[in-house]
Amino acid sequence: MDGDGEFVGGLVGKCIEAASASARSVEKWRRQRRTLEHLPSFLADALLRCIIRRRLLRYPSWLETFKNSVENVDLRGENYVGAEWLAYLGAFRFLRCLNLADCKGVNNSALWFLAGMDSLKELDLSRCSKVSDSGIKHVLSIHSLEKLHISEIGLTSEGVSLLSSLQNLKLLDLGGIPVTDKALCSLQVLTKLDYLDLWGSKISNKGVTILVMFPKLNFLNLAWTNVTKLPYLPSITSLNMSNCMISSIYYAKNSMNSPLSELLVLGTTFTDADEVFSCMDISYMKLLDVSRSSICNLHFLVKMDMIEHLDLSFCGITDDSVEYIAKAGKSLKYLNASNTKLTSDGVGALVGRLINLETLCLSNTDINDAALSYIALMPSLRVTDLSHTKIKGFAYESGHHVEKSFSLSLLQNLSRLESLNLEDTLIKDEAFVSLAFLKQLRCLYLKSDFLSDVYLHNLSPLSNLKFLGFRNSVLTDTGLLYFMPPKALRMLDLRGSWLLTKDTVLSFCKQYPQIEVTHESIGMIRPDRNISACSSGTSQTSEARCKGFNKPSENCKVTFIDERIKYSREEMLQLQLSPLSTLAPHHRHMLPKGLRLE
Amino acid sequence: MKLVSFAVGRSTCVQQRSRTMEGETVKLISAEGFEFVIDKKAAMVSQTIRNMLTSPGGFAESQLGQVTFPEISTPILEKICQYFYWSLDYASGKETEFHIEPEITLELMMAANYLHT
Repeated sequence: MDGDGEFVGGLVGKCIEAASASARSVEKWRRQRRTLEHLPSFLADALLRCIIRRRLLRYPSWLETFKNSVENVDLRGENYVGAEWLAYLGAFRFLRCLNLADCKGVNNSALWFLAGMDSLKELDLSRCSKVSDSGIKHVLSIHSLEKLHISEIGLTSEGVSLLSSLQNLKLLDLGGIPVTDKALCSLQVLTKLDYLDLWGSKISNKGVTILVMFPKLNFLNLAWTNVTKLPYLPSITSLNMSNCMISSIYYAKNSMNSPLSELLVLGTTFTDADEVFSCMDISYMKLLDVSRSSICNLHFLVKMDMIEHLDLSFCGITDDSVEYIAKAGKSLKYLNASNTKLTSDGVGALVGRLINLETLCLSNTDINDAALSYIALMPSLRVTDLSHTKIKGFAYESGHHVEKSFSLSLLQNLSRLESLNLEDTLIKDEAFVSLAFLKQLRCLYLKSDFLSDVYLHNLSPLSNLKFLGFRNSVLTDTGLLYFMPPKALRMLDLRGSWLLTKDTVLSFCKQYPQIEVTHESIGMIRPDRNISACSSGTSQTSEARCKGFNKPSENCKVTFIDERIKYSREEMLQLQLSPLSTLAPHHRHMLPKGLRLE
Repeated sequence: MKLVSFAVGRSTCVQQRSRTMEGETVKLISAEGFEFVIDKKAAMVSQTIRNMLTSPGGFAESQLGQVTFPEISTPILEKICQYFYWSLDYASGKETEFHIEPEITLELMMAANYLHT
């Protein structure tokens, strides 16, 4: 069931499941009006949610049966929702929360049906691009509204001024709307506001001083604005000034009532970072995201001894800054230093200091196998991303070229390690074998041209493995068919394994129905599929705000280049006949030759 | 009033047991007055019934070993008893499907919610 976790397993969950199994089953019970009216609202909500998610709500008139029981309606992203649907929703007597985000069919006249719904507390119209000033006028009659999301709709500055009549508002999301200083000024009557989102607005340094008038404001988002100086705002605990030019943030020290605990300054340019941080009280900071910003030294970290979440990705920091991270690191749980100039020595300096670190992301850095021996000494580590690094998987012990030691097996001491990402590293051959020691792993991401049948079979004993990425491999049909997947395995990502044929992948899927296989030969790949190791990023950073940050993700590539074109026919035949178990060394010899022929 | 000794596929076994070991079965009474005699173990699947039967202070329910449900109709209570036994089987590793007819889903959902199952 989608999103009804609370009921899964019990009889209530089974009933919801059975009730929303098909359109025919809905037809069977939807006329039992009296029973529906007596349904407790949370059950009615869950039932309706399930029907909507399964696309069983054929006609807007079916909504009528729910009008006396439902309190929450979530229609987000359903493009078919239009005026007729809102006409039925307008009759819902107890509706508290209505989510119409991304409903492209909702326009100004449709909103008329919501006018005067005095039970409504939350309304989400985000990205309903057809809604403009005249539509918002209908919303103004809903005096009970406490939360209003209207980011990226067609509202003008005049429309924003009208919102001042919604005196009960606590949350107002105006992201992407050209709010001017004047419009913001007219909103200052909304004294109950505690959450204000103004990303991408036209607020200037002058306008931002009005924010002092909101006594309860604790979340403020000013990303993508021209604000460079922020006045002293005593109640703010969470601030987002991503992609701005910051010259100063005034922040009184020793303001005990509500210290700043979250600061997001992604892609921000500081005129003088040290100065900005020196006039702020940052000792209570829990979350700091300075990725892609102009910061290149971390002196200010010295004062942050409560920091838990630190994102330094794409900053110009080097090993010199590591000592500051080490000093602040007592309570650090999340550290992202990907795409920085950090090396193995830097990681070494962190050993023994970051005792609570759970997530470590070092992708696209210059670390090598020496770093693995340091990482193995971080006891609380759960998620580690080491993709795109120079890790080879083995090291020569103190210069003796005879003694090869497998550095990956060092990680077996980390009993809490759940997820390990080794995509696009320099690991090859026997080093893959040492992965079989990491029995505690639940997610393993591998991507390399050197992955072959033997190394997949080698992973069978990893009994806890739930997700396995085995990408760009030279896995063969026979190799996949002889693979004994670990019992817990639920997802197998084989993208880019170009030797596999559709029939084999399908027969593997049939044999192991519990495993969801991803491969180009079996249909569309959803771009959001890859549960990235460091996807647990800052929740406040909505997608819209990050726009333009995400590097063109490889995951979105749906097209599949058949690498067979690199090989001549003779070589193809040779490959086909080559003994499979010894494919890796053989293949190593094959590949460059094939590329030369291109 | 009609007495229905009830247990999916093992009614004989239940009757025998109720004769030999008193207190091993409980009586659930529907809105129409139908009585369902089931294993106490099965009835304990419901958190609500468990509380009624085990709570100290001598509730009538725990003394007599019977519970009346004036809000639950006979067919629904029958289905719920079937679920109790299915759930015991499922917990002991027997993976079968529990089928629910779409016509009764709403009423069953309300009853299940009341019984915390």
